Amino acid sequence: MSLPGHTKCRTEYIRPKTALLRKIRGSRSRALPDRALVNCQYSSATFSTGERKRRPHGDRKSCEMGLQLRQTFEAAILTQLHPRSQIDIYVQPLRGVVSLQVLQADGGTYAACVNAATLAVLDAGIPMRDFVCACSAGFVDGTALADLSHVEEAAGGPQLALALLPASGQIALLEMDARLHEDHLEWVLEAAAQAARDVHTLLDRVVRQHVHEASILLGD
Amino acid sequence: MQRFRTVEPLEYYRRFLKENCRPDGRELGEFRTTTVNIGSISTADGSALVKLGNTTVICGVKAEFAVPPTDAPGKGCGVFLSVPNVDLPPLCSSRFHSGPPGEEAQVASQFIADVIENSQIIQKEDLCISSGKLAWVLYCDLICLDYDGNILDACTFALLAALKNVQLPEVSINEETSLAEVNLKKKSFLNIRTHPVATSFAVFDDTLLIVDPTGEEERLATGTLTVVMEEEGRLSCLHKPGGNGLTGAKLQDCMSRAVTKHKEVKTLMDEVIKSMKPK
Repeated sequence: MSLPGHTKCRTEYIRPKTALLRKIRGSRSRALPDRALVNCQYSSATFSTGERKRRPHGDRKSCEMGLQLRQTFEAAILTQLHPRSQIDIYVQPLRGVVSLQVLQADGGTYAACVNAATLAVLDAGIPMRDFVCACSAGFVDGTALADLSHVEEAAGGPQLALALLPASGQIALLEMDARLHEDHLEWVLEAAAQAARDVHTLLDRVVRQHVHEASILLGD
Repeated sequence: MQRFRTVEPLEYYRRFLKENCRPDGRELGEFRTTTVNIGSISTADGSALVKLGNTTVICGVKAEFAVPPTDAPGKGCGVFLSVPNVDLPPLCSSRFHSGPPGEEAQVASQFIADVIENSQIIQKEDLCISSGKLAWVLYCDLICLDYDGNILDACTFALLAALKNVQLPEVSINEETSLAEVNLKKKSFLNIRTHPVATSFAVFDDTLLIVDPTGEEERLATGTLTVVMEEEGRLSCLHKPGGNGLTGAKLQDCMSRAVTKHKEVKTLMDEVIKSMKPK
């Protein structure tokens, strides 16, 4: 392989700010007898994109994103512990990329949503197998890049969105579009995985700090 | 104590009210800590995030072109000069479900529309680009991120702060092509004529008035009242959706408290805007 093989990793999530709520609510008609139902809804704010979005709910991109989030979290949440109940995850990005075409795959948004949702699910006290950390990656000019910015995404190269369970190294969700030679796949995957592990370090630190602070408050 | 609060919330509250204070330590006439963050959403033309205690509302304003209706081209360059919309998504409180906007969201949207209309924050003429042909329309979207009572005050404040932050580019109509040419380099702030500030009250047991109710207090109250005040004690809007009756004297009391609140809010907003000026 004649690739330079160096990866660029940038872990700044300046784009979507997400706010989440998660709750368990008994839903009799669709309740599953042996595990919890995970329901994810994604709705972007109308002012979050360059052109004002008139239909923030129910459009294709929102539904697709909701489905991807649901599939990701069904892999991570220990649903067997809460039979016949429902876990709702609502994601609302407030600030998105400057010009977002409807058909453009937005790996960066997905990654930010997953990371925020992980923190929210942990905050709700819902038991999970592991953190779910996500990152996007791409391949531009012979280099694998992690955490693509809008400009890099618009360059038209292949993009990959990866959701990882860091402790076990298992992949919860992997989605890729545009053509990529199979030789390069390993590099790109490794770039995304490394970035996801970096995110995990950050999330872990934040959660521990929060628990530490909360326990101090309770102790008083 | 927590169990008593869950089982008999009203009695729990009454015990505090007898001592003229509330469970969160506030006095009956005290407002929660207000925080404002202006201009954080770069994709919106103007934005503001307001936190009243736990209640969090974010407002994003986007400006678009529109053709004003032909019946009043000279006077008002558009009936719908601003389209407010309040969204209470399920993520802000477990009271709300996903789907079409519920009653509370629609009432809040209408309230904000009334405030804009009544107080004439922006003159229709200011949004006019070319009489009869083109005008600006401001879409004001308010999203509640955390619901802990007093949504109307937070929305009004967020809307005002966001409007103060809006910068519209200069637009000229090309005579030959009659297309609009937008000059993004030259932007100017909106001309905000008045500063309406809302103050909400909750009525307990027909007599006791408390200011800035939390979510729990709103649920236990027997009535609510919202007063929207402008500068110099000018009353803009009064919203009392049913509930038990209030005497005229109590109403006067509310209005004087609203005047004080207006001064406080105006000072806070001026401070925040001044701190942003160097940009």
